[in-house]
Amino acid sequence: MFQARTDPPGTLDVGAVSRDRVSDFEQWRIITLHQLEHYLRTNRFYGLLGFVVLISALTLAGQVDAGIAAVQVQQLYRSSEYLSNGLMYTGLWVILAAAFFGGDALSVDFSTGAGYYMLVLPIKRPVLLAGRYAAATLVTLAIVGVNYVFDTAGAIYFFGAPSIPWGLLAASLGIACLFALAALSVAFCVSAFVRSPPAGVLFTILALYVGFTILQAVVELVGVEPWFSLTYAGGAMAAVLDTDFVHIQNIPLGEDQYYTIWVATVSEGLAIMAAYIAVFLPLSAYLYQRKESTG
Amino acid sequence: MGSIRVSGLSKTFRTGPPAIDNLTFEYSGAGAVGCLGPNGAGKTTLLKLLVGLLRPSQGHAFVNEIDPTVDRKGALWDVGALIETPEPYPTLNVHEALDAVGRSRGLSRDDVDREIDRCHELLDLPPLGHRIGWLSKGQRQRVTLAAAMMGDPSVFLLDEPTSGLDPAERVLVRRLLNRLKRDHLVLMSSHQMLEVTEVCDQLIFLDHGRVLLRDRVDKVAARIRSRQVDVEFERPMPQDAMATLLAVGAQIVALSERRWRISFDGRDETRVRLLELCQSLGPVVQFANTSLVLEEAYLELIPKTADET
Repeated sequence: MFQARTDPPGTLDVGAVSRDRVSDFEQWRIITLHQLEHYLRTNRFYGLLGFVVLISALTLAGQVDAGIAAVQVQQLYRSSEYLSNGLMYTGLWVILAAAFFGGDALSVDFSTGAGYYMLVLPIKRPVLLAGRYAAATLVTLAIVGVNYVFDTAGAIYFFGAPSIPWGLLAASLGIACLFALAALSVAFCVSAFVRSPPAGVLFTILALYVGFTILQAVVELVGVEPWFSLTYAGGAMAAVLDTDFVHIQNIPLGEDQYYTIWVATVSEGLAIMAAYIAVFLPLSAYLYQRKESTG
Repeated sequence: MGSIRVSGLSKTFRTGPPAIDNLTFEYSGAGAVGCLGPNGAGKTTLLKLLVGLLRPSQGHAFVNEIDPTVDRKGALWDVGALIETPEPYPTLNVHEALDAVGRSRGLSRDDVDREIDRCHELLDLPPLGHRIGWLSKGQRQRVTLAAAMMGDPSVFLLDEPTSGLDPAERVLVRRLLNRLKRDHLVLMSSHQMLEVTEVCDQLIFLDHGRVLLRDRVDKVAARIRSRQVDVEFERPMPQDAMATLLAVGAQIVALSERRWRISFDGRDETRVRLLELCQSLGPVVQFANTSLVLEEAYLELIPKTADET
């Protein structure tokens, strides 16, 4: 053996503290809080939050200004219909938040010095991923929560608090949570693939929003239900509140010609979201585990 | 006490020759090992393999007898690493950045604070409330060095730990490394021969992923320095007077009116003869080996190792 020591051992005033092995769960908790502290101070968080607040506030202000008659012109006669209509764009906020907070969550370790700070710690990579995933989910839900708050406020204003279907609203929030987990699973997978953080964010938005929306329209045009689309599954957030829910709607285009629109049922939406999580989250963990710091 | 062991270790990237080519060595116990070599020699790649940031193409790397590709948490549990340029999140402050590291290494909240205080003193850390994004490069480097020290690991893997530091900060870090190596195993890469000489006990000289030389630093330093001396006279020494040294086959270069650099064949008898000649010219204030930088040492080493093989 080749001994390194040439000096006699001496006393050292640089530590000598006792340490206990930390469980993976405890490390997950530490990483989640660490990541959350970071996310909650980023410009992207305040930018997106401000944007959602602005759009939601302007929408509500416009409706309040126009009065209940204008709301009823949109055939929204019940609070559940109003809530369902207001949540139609929640999927977009979820996707934007997932892309902003998940699209670069892993690639940042291989394109900046962040990885040299975190990946040399005695933490398993799946634990690091799980911590970041949890933090990104919480931040995404904070953004989406704003949309729910404004929507609920509008429903209370127009229809009164007693009319609010709180159970269904909670169910919708639960579906939104699952949708956020599914969208983040895709975003994390993209960020495990690409090396550039901005590219990860962009690809996630392109894939989840632009790509799926276009693909959904195309397959619907040829009469196929877009059961593979996560964006389609996101419709369940609003569908759960819709008392006049229609799964398949045929719009006549001409003689014997119809354009069929599908709206995901709640169970269908939940199944699609669960499938996305089951496929993309383990895939992200696998890719992240295998990735090397070659930069 | 910590240990580092690599066995038949090779790393080849998609293109190009092997970055690390069949390395085998072992160090254990307290002390400092300097890993030297020019750019592309494989120094950083070796450190990355030891912390599991890269996977070996062949062979194995072990830290404290644990392979990081098999058990990352176990292998890195007692390791403080500073690789490339670590960047804690710029939105966090110094305390928060160090707290996450300390807590994930199993320190209690109180111990984390004690460790941060200790590092603050040893490394003259910036104010703990300052955000990482506000810090200078040198301040950030000291914070990341403090992160490596959190929890007092037994092994330190440091990639050019004084890079980006000003002269005062370098002295501070070298002092710290000299203290650390008494009770810890430190493997550090560097471009600075002088730095390695001051801090390390052992040296690995890498070139193109292979070990060019591995020995005690004092022995290597003696080899490298033996062919050049700087002499300083009490009074200015004219060139024609110094020309007498050419008789023993030396080459002379004026550094100032009183200081001259003499290159010679490296033999001890020539060195003694040169000292006698210098003293015959006038009072000598200093007659010492020249401190060479890495590039000169590298050029010195290549023909020597070639001769030996």
